Formats: sequence, structure tokens, C-alpha cells
Amino acid sequence: MSRLRGIGAAFAVFAAAWAATASANAQDYKIGYITDLSGPLAGSYTPTWQGFELYVKALNDRGGVNGRKINVTIDDDGLRADRAVAAAKKQVESNEVLGIFGLSLSSTQAPVIAEMQKVGVPVASTFSAILDALPPAKPNYFSTGVTFEVAGEAIGVLQKQIVPSGKVVGITFDSVGGRAANLHNKLTVEKEGYTWDEVLFPVRTADFTPFAQTAAGMKPAMIVGHYGAEQNIGIIAALRAAGYTGPYIIAAYGASEDTARQAAAQAGSGENIYMVSRYAVPTDNAAGMADLLAAAKKYGVANPTSMHVTGWVLGMFAEQALKNCGADCTREGLEKAMQTVKLDTKGLTGGPIEMSADNHYGPTFWRLYHWENDKFVGVGDWLKKTGLEFPAK
Amino acid sequence: MELLVSILALGSTYALLAAGIVIIYKASRVINFAHGELAIVGAYVFHSAGFLTGTTLTALSLATSIVVAAAASAFFGVAIYLALMRRLLGRPTFVAAMVTIGLAIILKAAIVVIWNSRSVGIPIGRQAVYNFAGGGRITWIDVISVLTCVAAFTALAIFFQLTRLGRQFRGAAENPLLAAQRQVNINLILAIAWGVAVFSAALAGVLFGSRSMLSPQSTIIGLSGLTAALVGGLDSLRGAAIGGVLVAAATYLTARLISPTLAETVPFLILLAVMSWRPWGLFGTVEEINRV
Repeated sequence: MSRLRGIGAAFAVFAAAWAATASANAQDYKIGYITDLSGPLAGSYTPTWQGFELYVKALNDRGGVNGRKINVTIDDDGLRADRAVAAAKKQVESNEVLGIFGLSLSSTQAPVIAEMQKVGVPVASTFSAILDALPPAKPNYFSTGVTFEVAGEAIGVLQKQIVPSGKVVGITFDSVGGRAANLHNKLTVEKEGYTWDEVLFPVRTADFTPFAQTAAGMKPAMIVGHYGAEQNIGIIAALRAAGYTGPYIIAAYGASEDTARQAAAQAGSGENIYMVSRYAVPTDNAAGMADLLAAAKKYGVANPTSMHVTGWVLGMFAEQALKNCGADCTREGLEKAMQTVKLDTKGLTGGPIEMSADNHYGPTFWRLYHWENDKFVGVGDWLKKTGLEFPAK
Repeated sequence: MELLVSILALGSTYALLAAGIVIIYKASRVINFAHGELAIVGAYVFHSAGFLTGTTLTALSLATSIVVAAAASAFFGVAIYLALMRRLLGRPTFVAAMVTIGLAIILKAAIVVIWNSRSVGIPIGRQAVYNFAGGGRITWIDVISVLTCVAAFTALAIFFQLTRLGRQFRGAAENPLLAAQRQVNINLILAIAWGVAVFSAALAGVLFGSRSMLSPQSTIIGLSGLTAALVGGLDSLRGAAIGGVLVAAATYLTARLISPTLAETVPFLILLAVMSWRPWGLFGTVEEINRV
């Protein structure tokens, strides 16, 4: 009898704990996060997710937003649009999320956004961004990330700080985003008085030697690489082997300090490597960076990079959007709340992130960094870009 | 000259990949679709093993990498045969080929799980051996790639032509039933074939990672190795060597002289042309074609 009573008591305790957990979960803000954790660009997108997760963990430990914690459902799209759409539908229907964050490459974003617009779920992307966020912004899509066209123009202006004249060679892989970045880079540098040439290589290239030899043969004063982290490593080494020792700019589309470190080791020298980034790097002296590094230490994330910063900033954005949305936040309310975000990133970007009804991207700030003594060091001030100077095609 | 050296260096890497594919095909009539993945996993192991002795590249870390990667790749090749392929003996060859496709998927997932899809380089041999007047240089890794390829093919030729085991291997490849009746240990022959093939794949992966870099995407080089093997002839080591150089030459010359965006396409056009003209490849044995 006493044994039965013991089992009954244990069951009651378990049931109470379960009820308490269920009750607590019911109070949470439910949001979704989708990105590439197993596909070709997982190396870039995983730290971005880790940065977002880190921010949410720290936020929940502080008590959450409006007295409610944030519950994130994470799904992997493997860089495939069909998987991204399936994950988004699952998160909306089964996980009942208020909004979806993250996303991977721009090619996976458009179909997700189209599906989410049908059901009125707001989406906020990081790292990669598409033009739908720029004025006149389409509903339900926001981004705190990098639009290739805007980045191309920002790089075109910042290049003046390296070499004042001559020929610029843009290298990219043959993708919509790469071509867009190259085009806007070209238009900007030509306006600044440079000449331009470019090299396109197939997306699935693994050996970069012939493309680097072609670029080096163009006798450039400066080279810009518009692609992901891994291509930079291969291209920089191949360019140096081809005899090009001039300035090389990494466009920070998923690239970080780790990219430059690997590239420098592979090339045999870290000289003349630059990066243009929308986000600060971990060695920058900023209040927000101190918060990130403290959280990374507390939650056991080793060696955070500027890719972690991008996810962390999206976490800040999510917090403020939910705060503006209020305790009884709905999907429609969250979409409207995202339009009112004015976020001080505490030095993690060159200025605040400001959304409006018409502009879901806001002004952006870009900085040139130079690789010195195994770290990136800022060159000059942040450049503010309020929009596109040249119309997007 | 710079272009020629680049073609020979990359061609050597492709030739080593193709050699592994040929060895497995000769021994078992199975096309290994996981060869690119095996090459890149081997190279990642080489890279990681270098950090067993410290965080900087030293002679000790290089030696550790070489020993660990060589032993691990050969062991892994034998293990693949014993755990997977041996069970498929006597089954249609397309079943074994499908298993290698599954193996490729698992190995790619392993790169994601174990190495977090991180892009890395293998920073060895980047110093110049010779600098050209107009820029450009021949690096040590270019020289090492070619010399390694020559040494590997010479060793394979000696093994197949001059050793008892090599002759047994050739006999088993030509007629496994007859060889088995003459007390040739078929399982041993096939296990060695897989061990040698995966070792050569890892060698190619390390050379490739030293010239370019490693990422999950790098496994695409397996396709170039397979193209080289098919062009040269699936049962010809000589064909593998020439096929490797042909594929590299087609890639580089297209990139430099026609259009960079067509560089990865033209080798497959050559493959189509060769397959239409000589389905058994340039140096392959005329046989009943029974391929997947």
C-alpha cells in the first residue's frame, strides 16, 4: 500500500512539474529560426545562429521580454529552398510561431517570404538580405543583414581609402547575388574614376587557380571578392601564387576573422588583406561586444567571430520587436512592431538600426578593416548608406 | 609556362583520384561514387592531425599529419570493404555502386558534424620555387603534387607488374572465379584494393587542400576524378594519369582562353565525346559495358 502511495506521490509531483512547465511554455513568446546548419554554407550560418541563440539565452536569464521568455524553434534548411519552405510551414502550423528569423542564402528566402506573406507571418533575415526589404518595402519581410547591391556600393566608396586610382577587378561566382554585388561595385568605382574588370567563375568551383591567374593578368590595382568565406581562402592563396600581391578586399558575406586567418596561412602572407563589414569585429572596443563576449564565456561558445555578431544583433532586433509588440503579441502585431524598431546596437554596427513602414532595411553602416597581427583593425570611420545610389536590376 | 605547371599540378591530383577509382573498378567492377568525399575527409583528418602536437605548423606536426592520415585512410578503406562491400560480393554491381552513393552522403554529413563545415586550408608548400618575370610563380606544392603523382604511379606499376600479390590482383581482376579456385585470397585482394584506393584519394585530397582549400563543397573534385577515370578508361592506370591531365587542361584552358564560367562544363563535354567514340575510354579494355 505504501509502495502504491509512493508511486502515486511521484506521479503527482511529475504531473505538477509537467503542468508547471506546460504553463510556463504557454507564456513564452514562440518564434522560429531557420538556417543552413548542414549544407554547403553551414560554416557561415552556424555561428550566426549561435550568436542569435546566445542573445536569447542571456535575455531569458534576465527574465525575457515583457515578463515572458522567448522559446525558439530551430530548423535546418540545408541551403535548400524546398526544405526552408517546409520548415517555415511546420513552424507556423505546428509550433505556432509569431515570426521567423534567420534564413539562409537569398535564393532560399524568396519562397519562404512568399509563403509567409500568405499567412501574415513576419520574417526577419540576417547575414543575407534581398531587395524586398528596401523601399518600397514589401510586407512581412525585414532584414538586419547584408544586401549585395548595397554592399557593392559601400565597398566601391570605401576602396578609395586603399588605392586612390587604377583598375579594380571584381571576382565573383556566377550567381544572382554575386552579379548584383559586382554590378553595383562597378558602377560606384567607375563613378569614382577607377576602371573596372571582372572575373566570374562557376558556383561549384573548388580549384581557383585559373580564375586567379586571369584576374592577376588584368594587372589590377585592387581586387574585391564577392562570395562566401570559403572562396576567399582559395582565391587569396591562388592570387598570391599567380603573382598578385596588391590589396584584396573580402566582402563580408559570411566571412570573418577566421576567413582572413585561414587565407593568410594558406597564402603564406596576411599582407594587403582587407574586409568591408556591416558589423563590428570581436576585437572592436564596443559596449555591445563586451556583452557578447561575456555571454559567450558564460554559455561556452568558443572564439566568437563577427558572424556571431550578426546573429546577436538579430537577437537584439527580435527583443525590441517583441517588446514593442507587447505582452499580447500577435503575428500582425509583431509585423507592425518590427516597423517601429529603433535599435541602438551598442557599437556592434556603425549606427542604429531603424525600420519604418516603407523601409524594412533602414540606413546601414559599413567599415573597412585591415588584417594586422592576426586581427582586423578598423580603417577610418563607418560609412553611412541610406539606400541604393544606382537602381537595382 | 605558369599555366602548364598549374595544369600538371592539378592534373596530378585528378590522376591520383582517378587511380583510386580505377583500382577499385579493376578489382571489383564497382564504380566508387564516394571517392571525392573520401579524399576530402582524408584531407580534413590530415589537417586536424596537425594540431595534435600543437597549434603551429612544425616538422613534427607535419610528420604526425602524414602518418595519421596515411594510416587512417588505408585502414578506413579496408574497413569499408570489410563492413560494407564484402557483403555485396556476387550481387549486381549497381547495388555496390548505390552503396557508395550512400557512403558519400554519410561522409559529407561527417564533415558537417565533425568539422562544422569549416573551410580550412592546408598551409604547406606555398613558398616559391621559381618566380616568373611577369609575376606568378611555381610553388613547392606544385612540384610536390607532380612528384607525388609520379612516385605513386611508379609504385603502383611496380606492385602490379613485379610483385606476387600484384599478379594475383591482376588475375583476380580478370577472372575472380578462376583466381579463387587457384587459392588466391579474393577478400585480401579486395581489401587491399580499397585500402590503396582510399589512401590515394586522401593523398589527392591533401594535395588539393594545399593548393586550394577544404570545405564540404570541395568534395566536387570526386567528379573530376571520375571524369578522368572514364576518359582514360576505367581499368587503365595509364589512362587515369592521362585522363587527369586532360581534365585539368580542359578546365584551365577553357577558363583562361574561352570563358571562366564554362571551365567546369567543358571536361564533361570531352567526357561525352570520348564516351560516344570509345565507351571504354581512351586506354580502357574493350569489354561488355555494364556500368551504372
